[in-house]
Amino acid sequence: MITDNLAISATGLVKKFGGRRVVDGVDIAVPKGLIYGVLGPNGAGKTTTLRMLLGIIEPDGGTRTLLGHERPREVSDRVGYLPEERGLYPAMKAKDAIAFMGALRGLDLKTGRKRAVTLMEGAGLGHAVDSKIRKLSKGMAQLVQLLGSVVHEPDLLVLDEPFSGLDPVNQDRLEALIVAQRDRGATILFSTHVMAHAERLCDRLTIIAGGKARFEGTVADARGKLPMRAHYVPHFEGEGIAALLPPDAERDGDGWRFIVPESGVEDILKRLIDGGFGISGLAMERPGLHDAFVRIVGPDALKDQVDDVEVAA
Amino acid sequence: MSASPPGNIRRLVRQTMTIARRDFVATVFTPMFLVFLFTPVLMLSFGLIGGMGASSVTSASVEKASIVAIVDPAQQEAMRAADARLRQLYARDDRPPALVMQVPTDNPAGQAHVAFSDKGNDASAAMFGELGRPTILYSGFGRRDANFLAQLAEETLRMERSGTTALSIPTLTSIARAQPSPTGNKRSAFFAVFGIFFLTLFLAGQAVGTMAEERNNKVVEILAAAVPLEAVFFGKLIGMFGSALLFIGFWGTLASQLDVLVPGGVGAAFRDIGPAVGMPVFSLLFVAYFAMAYMLLGAVFMGVGAQASTPRELQLLSLPITVLQIIIFGLSVQAVSKPDSWLALAVEIFPFSSPYAMAGRAANLPDLWPHLAALVWQLLWVAIIIAIAARAFRRGVLQSGSGKINWKGLVGR
Repeated sequence: MITDNLAISATGLVKKFGGRRVVDGVDIAVPKGLIYGVLGPNGAGKTTTLRMLLGIIEPDGGTRTLLGHERPREVSDRVGYLPEERGLYPAMKAKDAIAFMGALRGLDLKTGRKRAVTLMEGAGLGHAVDSKIRKLSKGMAQLVQLLGSVVHEPDLLVLDEPFSGLDPVNQDRLEALIVAQRDRGATILFSTHVMAHAERLCDRLTIIAGGKARFEGTVADARGKLPMRAHYVPHFEGEGIAALLPPDAERDGDGWRFIVPESGVEDILKRLIDGGFGISGLAMERPGLHDAFVRIVGPDALKDQVDDVEVAA
Repeated sequence: MSASPPGNIRRLVRQTMTIARRDFVATVFTPMFLVFLFTPVLMLSFGLIGGMGASSVTSASVEKASIVAIVDPAQQEAMRAADARLRQLYARDDRPPALVMQVPTDNPAGQAHVAFSDKGNDASAAMFGELGRPTILYSGFGRRDANFLAQLAEETLRMERSGTTALSIPTLTSIARAQPSPTGNKRSAFFAVFGIFFLTLFLAGQAVGTMAEERNNKVVEILAAAVPLEAVFFGKLIGMFGSALLFIGFWGTLASQLDVLVPGGVGAAFRDIGPAVGMPVFSLLFVAYFAMAYMLLGAVFMGVGAQASTPRELQLLSLPITVLQIIIFGLSVQAVSKPDSWLALAVEIFPFSSPYAMAGRAANLPDLWPHLAALVWQLLWVAIIIAIAARAFRRGVLQSGSGKINWKGLVGR
């Protein structure tokens, strides 16, 4: 595998807990400079995969490189990480918390504090720079932690379920921040099980279920896994119309809904016009990522899902 | 491109010190640290209050206590002089009860027995009969007082023969020894062992809850992603050690002014206690061995505490370590009292007792090279314990299956 243009490359990653394969041979290749999503249902193995990629835990099998290094620790100063379970020191001031997280990644504290103020002001949290973490709302604390993961301007930003627990306003702020990081040149890898964020943000994505990677590609590729759908409203109703439509056509209000066959919709429309039913309305729609996800993951994969292992508290 | 080993070490040091700084600041710059700093004052206050209570009870009984001498009036002056002279041999708090002299009646034996039942005169011993062959009665713990009365009879007779004027008039002069005596060495050895034991007992136990704080705050995932766990553990240990040094510095400065603070040349008396290696070197070694004892025990406390999820578990896990610490103290005291014994050698080599025993050795024996070897040996064990603690944490808490000690990862390929 050519890894020069990859921020992350992993092959055959395996992790077992208690003899059970929580991650079972996952391959992942994240190109530099993109926003890359790791999607999957709860307990699919997303968090475990991210933790292995970062070197927090060691895989039981497979190989990985992070920013070209086989030992993730060697490049930890170039990586930012927002874990699924948020954690900050409650007695710290917000700007100090951000600076401390930067210091862990090699940024000196003085610079870290300056950048923290700038970042917080940019995120609409300027009024809270000197507030203790324990005084902040959950959403604000979460944003502070996210700012702490980017204060050292990392080349790679890994976010585990970054949107969970945020209200819509803060979700929009977070989306803007992620895009800004990508525009700065950073690679962003984030996990989620909320399709709307992935659909809006991801340049590429992988879908994990039951510890295995089920899909890798763009959002369009994923949606392309499902055929287009048509919603047809006839000009005249009458008996025999169902016989002219595809077998899977279903009544939907005044019209009919059916999957467009591979040969296209033209033949069907010609038959309907010739049959005297006419066309009052016709809408073609591509299925969303949500439908593609359900189709890709499938009920069998969901049956296999196991709990992601979290840091014991 | 991989970072070079020196680069990795630099980064490891930087990461360790970042953690240490955070922990030091979080510990010291809080109002609770003042409470911690002045804990000895609280302990002393409680001790004084308890002591005053006990003292008032004792004083009340001492005021009434007496020893009774039923003696001919012609001999009473000599006996009073002999009593005054004999009492000079005792420390102030150790002197026998006041002497009460009575003129003998027809039944001196009955008179002596009555002295014990007199409510206003709590006699512990009573003497009657000729001073050449006196009979002395005593009750309860009065045997020592009875012996005093016997000596008093002897001294009274001698004074009758030689007169009450002192035949010898001594001049007492306090001098400082050029070299500490073997007894002074042993005393300083005991002080060293006890000092390190007390300080580590008091301070190292704090380390037990530090990783629990990280687990409760969920910060541990951030730390584990950014820095090696070994650096997290070591950094926390250094941070806590910093606050311990602050504590010792504060009280050490006060203690160094002992001459000024305590009356009557008590401070000067401590100067007679001297270590074999000399005070400057001994001071350095004391600090070094305290650091090692703190690091060793702190690492164990922290490693064990990191496995605990609740305060109850923390307490349960801390108890065996404290018991072990007390056993080590007992063995170390034995070792310093016999510095050439096999026990001393064993206690000096066993990593957890080594700092105590070696501090004692510095007081007893002048050779320095064993201290260099001991410090290296102890430092090695600090590293081993931290590595084991990190491994246990990685496996038990972070759920990483590997749990191998990552020596190479620490210093590069």
